[in-house]
Amino acid sequence: MIDAADLALLSEGLRSAMAEARSAAGLDAALAELGWRELLEESPDEAVALVFGLLGETGAHAPVLNDVLLHAMKRPLGGVVALREDGLAFGRPGEPSPADLDPALGLCRVAWEPLTDEALAAGRRALGLQIVGAGRTMLALAREHALARTQFGRPVAAFQAVRHRLAETLVALEGAQAALEHATDPMTAKLGKALAGRAGLTAMRHCQQVLAGIGFTAEHRFHLFARRVLVLDDLLGSASALTREIGESLEASRIVPRLVDL
Amino acid sequence: MHVDEFRTGLRAWLDEHDLRPVHDGSLDGHMAQLSRVRRALFDAGWMRWGWPEHAGGLGGPVILRAVLGEEVVARDLAEPGIYTLIEVLAPTLIRYASPELLGFVPKLLAGEETWCQGFSEPGTGSDLASLSTRAVRDGDAWVIDGQKVWTSLAQYARRCVLLTRTGGPGHRGISAFLVDMDSPGITVRPIETMHGRDEFAEVFFDGVRVPAARMLGAEGQGWEIAMSILPDERSSCFWQRIAYLYNRLDRLLAEAPAASPRQLGEAFLDLHAIRCRSRLTQHRRTRGDRLGAETSVDKVLLATAEQRLFDTARDLLPGAVEYGDSPWREEYLYSRAATIYGGTAEIQRNIIAKRLLSLGNE
Ligand SMILES: Cc1cc2nc3c(=O)[nH]c(=O)nc-3n(C[C@H](O)[C@H](O)[C@H](O)COP(=O)(O)OP(=O)(O)OC[C@H]3O[C@@H](n4cnc5c(N)ncnc54)[C@H](O)[C@@H]3O)c2cc1C
Repeated sequence: MIDAADLALLSEGLRSAMAEARSAAGLDAALAELGWRELLEESPDEAVALVFGLLGETGAHAPVLNDVLLHAMKRPLGGVVALREDGLAFGRPGEPSPADLDPALGLCRVAWEPLTDEALAAGRRALGLQIVGAGRTMLALAREHALARTQFGRPVAAFQAVRHRLAETLVALEGAQAALEHATDPMTAKLGKALAGRAGLTAMRHCQQVLAGIGFTAEHRFHLFARRVLVLDDLLGSASALTREIGESLEASRIVPRLVDL
Repeated sequence: MHVDEFRTGLRAWLDEHDLRPVHDGSLDGHMAQLSRVRRALFDAGWMRWGWPEHAGGLGGPVILRAVLGEEVVARDLAEPGIYTLIEVLAPTLIRYASPELLGFVPKLLAGEETWCQGFSEPGTGSDLASLSTRAVRDGDAWVIDGQKVWTSLAQYARRCVLLTRTGGPGHRGISAFLVDMDSPGITVRPIETMHGRDEFAEVFFDGVRVPAARMLGAEGQGWEIAMSILPDERSSCFWQRIAYLYNRLDRLLAEAPAASPRQLGEAFLDLHAIRCRSRLTQHRRTRGDRLGAETSVDKVLLATAEQRLFDTARDLLPGAVEYGDSPWREEYLYSRAATIYGGTAEIQRNIIAKRLLSLGNE
């Protein structure tokens, strides 16, 4: 456990490293410099919540999901791990991959090895937290725009249809965040990732609509977060695929697990 | 008393004491069962944990009430909606009543009495601050004239937590009373409901004299009192409702022949999200945090989960809602009210937009 003051300090350091980052490789190195790997070894839950939440919010990318998976498999950090059977992985150093929806993620192909249950759970929790972070930024961008943009003589934030879309977005994100705070094993991590994916897509839909024309331009940052959310949702199980899996396991066991208690 | 200790002891006690309902499913039957369950739990002490000692409780953290509610509902011992009404009424009284009125609280907890909540009026739903039932001072009493509507269980209630207008328009002109329902001048007319269990009523007040000592808090404090209900409603009550919904998903899994995994998964995800969220809320409350507008998020998550669950049940059990005589019909229909009572879904989104997202005025 690290104390709250240290955590706040570290959080500021990480945030500025992410804001200044020029490349995935540069940020990877900067995070290592700031002690990411030691923190991951020492208090993995806090490390992942902090770093992945911030990666989501800032829209920066460093291939540190590899470390989360390696750590969960008790292997040395710093390598690359395939996320799918076709070998897709976050490259290290991570050259941009222009053919993909989100080139900044620097996707590459490596040899596939099945992930352990622990690795899958840790990876899902991390990706879920990153999606919620990205959703929060989409919401902030839409909120700012709604307050600044005037139509019919009023800020568009005064229109109830707009307000309710943004309220709906917050509800989805908070529900997912709460689930991720309770993601402590493979099943709860799966639920957390599914809820995060769903919330990310909800945020994308509503915020895009509120941002309207300006949000459809490459000049506005919205599209970067939208692209990111679509890819992160797909990795290690999309909301849609996981929801089906969860339903199948309910059907098979005919028991509804009470996964969290007071 | 710790949560785990409480839960273990309670479960053992409930295993030994058979409180399972034996009634015809009518509202009268449910009410009688509720009194029976309360009485037994009160006498054994379980019902008294989490309530302050000066109000007849045994003290301990409020969260114990949520644990009790969960066990009661998980065993289908009482209908959740009517069970939780005390969670909004008793705390109000404990916070604002004079020591003399506090003596009524144990009667409520022990199932000796039912109370109701007289807030809504024909002209006053979402815009509660516009209420017009009037109370006028006359010597050592107040004289009340007006009408309440959608008052749940008014036909069974011994007392009513009533909001009235004692001053000018707006929030500041509102005062609250604890009114005896057998006072001369009160007429209760049950309203037939859509789901067939006529749980609410119209209540008419015609020159009803209420002793001044029955005012809760001070003159003009009614709005504050009404708003103080939210943290109670949105912690212990919600936890219990969530427990009930899990229970119904169990039932659906047992009954649905060939299910649709995608739909079941969605329904379970919604339940899991509100369960996690509500757990965080309960713990914040136990730590002594003030609960506020952020509980509108809990409210929206819960109403959404409830309606999704019963929509799923209707899809996976074709005809259960429409034909014949299945318990799913009543519960499906009741779930439609989840986005209406306790502040509509739209009002919750207005609160989130204004207070949590700071979007300014409409
Ligand atoms: C089963 C049940 C039990 C109840 N029990 C009780 C009880 O015990 N005691 C009690 O006092 N009351 C009770 N109520 C009443 C309940 O609190 C009210 O129904 C509720 O507050 C809504 O008021 P209304 O029905 O008058 O709807 P209205 O306020 O008239 O609203 C009609 C529609 O307009 C929308 N609307 C209104 N204002 C706005 C706005 N500003 N922005 C956007 N949309 C808006 C609403 O969301 C709704 O969709 C109960 C209701 C039900 C269904």
